[in-house]
Amino acid sequence: MELEWNGIPSITLVHEALRGSAEAICRVSGMAGYPFITVDYPHVPTAIWTDDEIASIAKAVAPEVHRQLSA
Amino acid sequence: MGTVQAPQHEYLDVDALVDDYHERGWTDGLPIVAPTPEKVERFLAVAGLRGDEVLGHVPTREVTVTAEQVAINAVMAGCRAEYLPTVIAAVRAHLHEKANCHSTTGTLSGAFQMVIVNGPARAALGVACEGACFGPGFRANATIGRALRLVIRNACRAIPGFLDRASFSTPARYSMCFGEDEEGSGATWRPMHVERGFAATDSTVTVQSVMVVVPATDFTARTPEAVCDTLVATIRSKGTSGDAFLEGAGEVVVVIGPEHRRFFLEAGWSKDDIRANLHPRITALDGPGRPVKFPDTEPERLLLVAAGGPGMGESWVFIPHLSRAITEPIRTAVTTSP
Repeated sequence: MELEWNGIPSITLVHEALRGSAEAICRVSGMAGYPFITVDYPHVPTAIWTDDEIASIAKAVAPEVHRQLSA
Repeated sequence: MGTVQAPQHEYLDVDALVDDYHERGWTDGLPIVAPTPEKVERFLAVAGLRGDEVLGHVPTREVTVTAEQVAINAVMAGCRAEYLPTVIAAVRAHLHEKANCHSTTGTLSGAFQMVIVNGPARAALGVACEGACFGPGFRANATIGRALRLVIRNACRAIPGFLDRASFSTPARYSMCFGEDEEGSGATWRPMHVERGFAATDSTVTVQSVMVVVPATDFTARTPEAVCDTLVATIRSKGTSGDAFLEGAGEVVVVIGPEHRRFFLEAGWSKDDIRANLHPRITALDGPGRPVKFPDTEPERLLLVAAGGPGMGESWVFIPHLSRAITEPIRTAVTTSP
């Protein structure tokens, strides 16, 4: 959000387990409804991911990242 | 005329009462709720108990604990009336001979009493089982655990510098109470109280006195076997000695968080499957670290409990003091306060 406030288009990736925290931060920052992309299980929430896992997550979220950046 | 037998005191206001209770050594240092005779009687009525009903003894201290004493301390702790049957069950469990009140509340190690709630009472009372359940923020957890500790202080005489001889003590002695996340642990996991002989529809309290708490943190494990490896290493980092009075070591409690639990559930492992993996390895005399001195024939002394919230790849290991974990039924139907 701070990047957004500085005029830099940005994308936020959040694990589904931490959705509640992300929504709370958006709310207290005055940006309720700020869009973020979620990563879900079987990927662990703490992002201790293998290189292959990271590549597969990147491939999976890329279309939505592109869509949000060009919206 | 009321039925409360305890000596009564009059105060100009609540502040004066709180100050006087603190000066007399009747609190844990935090403010308390005034235990008026009316409140104490209402609590006992909700629990369906007479005030003079004896719940147990601490023979070495010449202590007999009555329902009235427990009701007074439950009011002081901030309980709602409907929590009292759960507090009563926790007190009965703690006063069981093998729970070893005198040792576990007087010890230099500063052991604390862990209260685990199972069954329908969790939802009825609002006992937290998921995220942050070991910490502050939940009235039932905070006050049920505190009530037991106030009973230990005020009825069982475990007062720092007197019969409480802890070198450091622990903040967990203010309160430590949570529920098992039975709903979040799948059909293959039997709740702890069912494993210990109760019906799923029963509500129970299990109390264990704990000397050491060790988080078993592992973000990289992706299989049940890998989580078990971490649990074995964590348990053996402390181990626990046996005691003839307890017929071996008391129950080790492992609270398995959801990020570890899901690997067991996805692979179809029951709690017994986990025990079959862990028990021989934590009791082996020749492994790394220190073994747990369980009898070979009693793997059920390893208590497995589901609780906690998502996020951390973590389970928690609770190493007992010289005590057996005791499970008591919550005997009175749960009702709602007016």
